[in-house]
Amino acid sequence: MRVKARFLVYVLFALLMLFSVAVVQAFAAVGCDLNDPDRDVARLFPDSTGYRTTYASIDKRGGEPLLRRVETRLGERFHGIYETIDVPYTIYAIYNGKRKVGYIHGVNQKGQFGGIQVFVALDMEGRIKSFYIQKMTSQWAKKLRGSRFGRQFTGLTLKDFEPYDPVTGKGSGKVAEIRNPAPEAETDFRAALRAVKKNLILMDEFVYATGEGKP
Amino acid sequence: MISRFQIAYKNLLRKKTRTLLTLVGIMLSSWVLVSLLGFNRGYEQALNRDIDNMGYQLMVMAKGCPYEAATMMLQGGTGLRYIEQSMVDSIVDKPEVDKVTPILMQAFFDPNKGDGGGIAGYFGIDPATFPAMKPFFRFRQGGWFRDDEAFEAVMGYEAAELEQREVGDMILVPEKNVQLKVVGILERTGTQDDGTIFAPLKTLQKISGIDKITTIGIKVKKDADSAKLEAALYQLPDVQVVSFTQVKETIMKLISTARVMVLSIAIIALLIAMVGVVNTILMSVLERKQEIGILKTMGAMPGDIFRLVWTETLILCASGGVAGIGLAFLFARLSDILVRRILPYAPGGELVAIDMRIACLTLAVIVVVGLLSGIYPAWQAGRVRPLESIRSEG
Repeated sequence: MRVKARFLVYVLFALLMLFSVAVVQAFAAVGCDLNDPDRDVARLFPDSTGYRTTYASIDKRGGEPLLRRVETRLGERFHGIYETIDVPYTIYAIYNGKRKVGYIHGVNQKGQFGGIQVFVALDMEGRIKSFYIQKMTSQWAKKLRGSRFGRQFTGLTLKDFEPYDPVTGKGSGKVAEIRNPAPEAETDFRAALRAVKKNLILMDEFVYATGEGKP
Repeated sequence: MISRFQIAYKNLLRKKTRTLLTLVGIMLSSWVLVSLLGFNRGYEQALNRDIDNMGYQLMVMAKGCPYEAATMMLQGGTGLRYIEQSMVDSIVDKPEVDKVTPILMQAFFDPNKGDGGGIAGYFGIDPATFPAMKPFFRFRQGGWFRDDEAFEAVMGYEAAELEQREVGDMILVPEKNVQLKVVGILERTGTQDDGTIFAPLKTLQKISGIDKITTIGIKVKKDADSAKLEAALYQLPDVQVVSFTQVKETIMKLISTARVMVLSIAIIALLIAMVGVVNTILMSVLERKQEIGILKTMGAMPGDIFRLVWTETLILCASGGVAGIGLAFLFARLSDILVRRILPYAPGGELVAIDMRIACLTLAVIVVVGLLSGIYPAWQAGRVRPLESIRSEG
């Protein structure tokens, strides 16, 4: 009887957990997902055969101390209203057969005329394989979303972005060499660079530094 | 002296597993029943609230024009048809009309949304009449437009969240490349307004190069004859009238079939649980035949035995019912989320609204049906013959 009662308690507890997760999900902040993951994964990772989706948030992975660390590494504080500790980040782990070959991860970034959604495809060492702006509202969006601009990010790592200061827009090394194809859209250009740096820091905290990044 | 309830309780504890399983059966059926009754009530309330939140009960638009933002987006704004703004004047004078507001819906193609581009929808509203239609709007930041021709925008919460806009930021109307300053961000309303970008009507007309409107929202006076007004509006040339009362009735009709089916399943679940009760009590009576015989030889009357066994049924049903109602209260939010996922259209707000009245009604149903089911085993127990039962093998 005691075993049965304990079993019932476990079932009830599991249901309660499910309930609390469902409630949290219903009110969580907006994340950044690929519009058409099947198509987009195949395009960003041509050698992939499948992918697995996981979710992470600063809130759940380390709370306030992690937020402070991310902000310190970024060189700027998160902008209150939408860039918050509870934003759910969608991480697409990419597979070739059973072998993990990389990740795709996107972040929302405030642009001059609207939200910008910036995705990077990373290999297992955290090197950018491809860069993709899914959404951007701007007269010059075509240039910033163009492949010529995107190619400048290929091969860069978090280490390359470390000297980049999103407040002043100044950097050194490879990041400083990235050319703005639309000088009129300096705000959105800087926003894109900040988004990539934030993206790489988050991936480092969520995946590479934790050992999850191993194949 | 030990009471009848204590004896009944001790009897039930003799076969704990059997009692527990019967309790679980009753609990589950009462959970389903109370949740369904709560859904019945909650859905209609939520639908009424959604319709009230529209701010107007009637909408007039050109024949064939989509009247909902989602449809407009799906059609890429191609299906928009226009009516003359002067039509507002011919409606506002009707005796049944309380308030009228003109609206212009516009959809602009944004090639930089995703791979194939997307649609950005804007609502042009009259700052003088529209806010009065939506008195429940609360601003998270800022407020309404400074004047009726200002190049400004007010954003629903979700639209602002997607575009990461705050008051003072600029937005760009795609295709037209016109900039609007965000002057207000609304709190969540749980309606389609959350995803809407509002601009002053004249401004949107200027941007689109259109001097017409797509929709007229009409608030009917409290005791006015809405059907009469509707008939009068149909006399206007080339318009369609959408009555939200009719929309509500249609939705309620559509879901009524599903409600009847689900309610039938709940009743079947309840009946199965009651068969379980009969089985449990009857088994218990058969197992205790000798004991009942001894009680009778000691002077217990058939009525005493009947009441004792009936009390066991009462305890089982009442505890199972209370536990099920408790679970329904506890998981009301989860049921809400599940129902919302299943239903093709779910209004905002609380869908499964359980209150004490529904809880008491369910408990009463469970107890009454349970007691009716318990009559047969209790009657069987009452007519046990003392000598025969004592002589029989245990």
